Amino acid sequence: MSSDTIHFDEILGKYRSDPYDYVDMCAVHAGEVRFLLEEEAEVQGVSGKWQHIPGSPIYEITRERNPKVITSKTNGTVSFVNRDLDGKFVEAGTKLVTIRHPLKKKEIIEAILQEVLYLFSAPERARYYFSMDIQSRIDQKGARSIVIQPGDEIITMSLMKRDTPVYYDGDPGILHSIYFSPGDSVDQGVPLLGVCPEEKLSVVQKIITRVKAEWE
Amino acid sequence: MLSHGNLLDLAASLTADSPFAAPVTRSILRYGAPLGCRITHHHTLPRCMDLLRGRALAGNAPVPHTGEVVRADRLTGGQGRFGRYWFAPEGGLHMAFLWADTLLPEWSRFLPFAVGIACCETIRAHGAGATLKWVNDVHVQGRKIGGILTETIIGSRGDRYHLVGIGLNMNVTRFPEELRKRATSLQLETGQPRAIDTVFAHLLARLQWNIGLLCYGEEQGLSEGIGPGENPVLLRWQELSDSVGARIVFGYDVWKKPLYEGIVTGLDDQGGLVIRLDDGSSITEYSGEIEYQ
Repeated sequence: MSSDTIHFDEILGKYRSDPYDYVDMCAVHAGEVRFLLEEEAEVQGVSGKWQHIPGSPIYEITRERNPKVITSKTNGTVSFVNRDLDGKFVEAGTKLVTIRHPLKKKEIIEAILQEVLYLFSAPERARYYFSMDIQSRIDQKGARSIVIQPGDEIITMSLMKRDTPVYYDGDPGILHSIYFSPGDSVDQGVPLLGVCPEEKLSVVQKIITRVKAEWE
Repeated sequence: MLSHGNLLDLAASLTADSPFAAPVTRSILRYGAPLGCRITHHHTLPRCMDLLRGRALAGNAPVPHTGEVVRADRLTGGQGRFGRYWFAPEGGLHMAFLWADTLLPEWSRFLPFAVGIACCETIRAHGAGATLKWVNDVHVQGRKIGGILTETIIGSRGDRYHLVGIGLNMNVTRFPEELRKRATSLQLETGQPRAIDTVFAHLLARLQWNIGLLCYGEEQGLSEGIGPGENPVLLRWQELSDSVGARIVFGYDVWKKPLYEGIVTGLDDQGGLVIRLDDGSSITEYSGEIEYQ
């Protein structure tokens, strides 16, 4: 998306008419699935000070006599249940349930930004912190003064007391959004950073200003 | 001088009572055999890990061997996690090794466990009742007797290695004031000094076995599938650990920033520590550290 192709009224109109995110829940692995709720059920996401209290149970999947209950990560309303699969064997990744999650203003800004930014995601479920060099540059000048290049060691992943350097592999850009706090436990695939190509910075600022100003 | 051949013989003799059938035992030993293929021994180094890291990162040097070991009699810049001071005088066993990252990520996560098991078994074999605190702190009745540091590094040619540093307190009888309540040594626990060369050889042999066991577990997992509770490394770790059932404080850096308290109820099949909080809820941690209360 470039500044030329951003049509703010259209984008905001889209979110005004349907201010929801539709979160698909897919089979975490192959197995026999059993649904634990009906369509239109209200569900809760994870909660607790450490995000340790699981959300509402959504489905149970059994592999080799080992049942596992999968819970919702987000709050909302169940908009779709693939009932035809109830009690059947499914492959990993099969779409099972969709949850309609009501978006807040901050989430709408983030959703639009994530279409513009390059998202750098967690390679594994682990705890993450910035490399020493990046952390000291953030401390001195702030994240948005930092330009990162492909190949830069930006993050250290800590898993089972083993530290692994993580190298940036996206387009060069400015460290615009940081989605974790150093030492946070982050699930695999969840964005850690949003990197903005320098030429898109003004577009990003426009998005934030416009949504903040116009969204109730 | 410990030769690789002697080391292989020692590993085979130490596993004479292996619970596995003879062909499996041989397979495990084969997997672990590269450990100790090259050993260099120094009197004094800043850190053994730095020397090996430098070799892996140097573009103009030969590619390091997997299983290459560096040992020093004393370290001048010993460090634990978060830059914590590691007391490493003469009388301790200080070493590091490189292991090429050939394991799948879902198995390489157990390498720190395998190394901890080897250290704990070695200390036990020499008379002290060591146990493992999640992930791999080796201690005797709450006092640390061994420390392990594991990093993954990318070599100059893009090759990945696990770099493992190990420090065992052997014949150390006096610790700095700030460590006295936290640390102990084999000599303090058993009342007599040990031949460090002998303990070093035993440690390498047990590293061969336990890293071999990890590789064998991966092989089994890929060929036949491993169900929950069947990972041989985790099973052995649980035999040696006193973490399950303990009341603990958890933190990413628990000394500086303890986060919460709870009781350890078990390990999940990924090695995650399952902690029951006081409100009855549970949380599973895959990184960080614990202190017993």
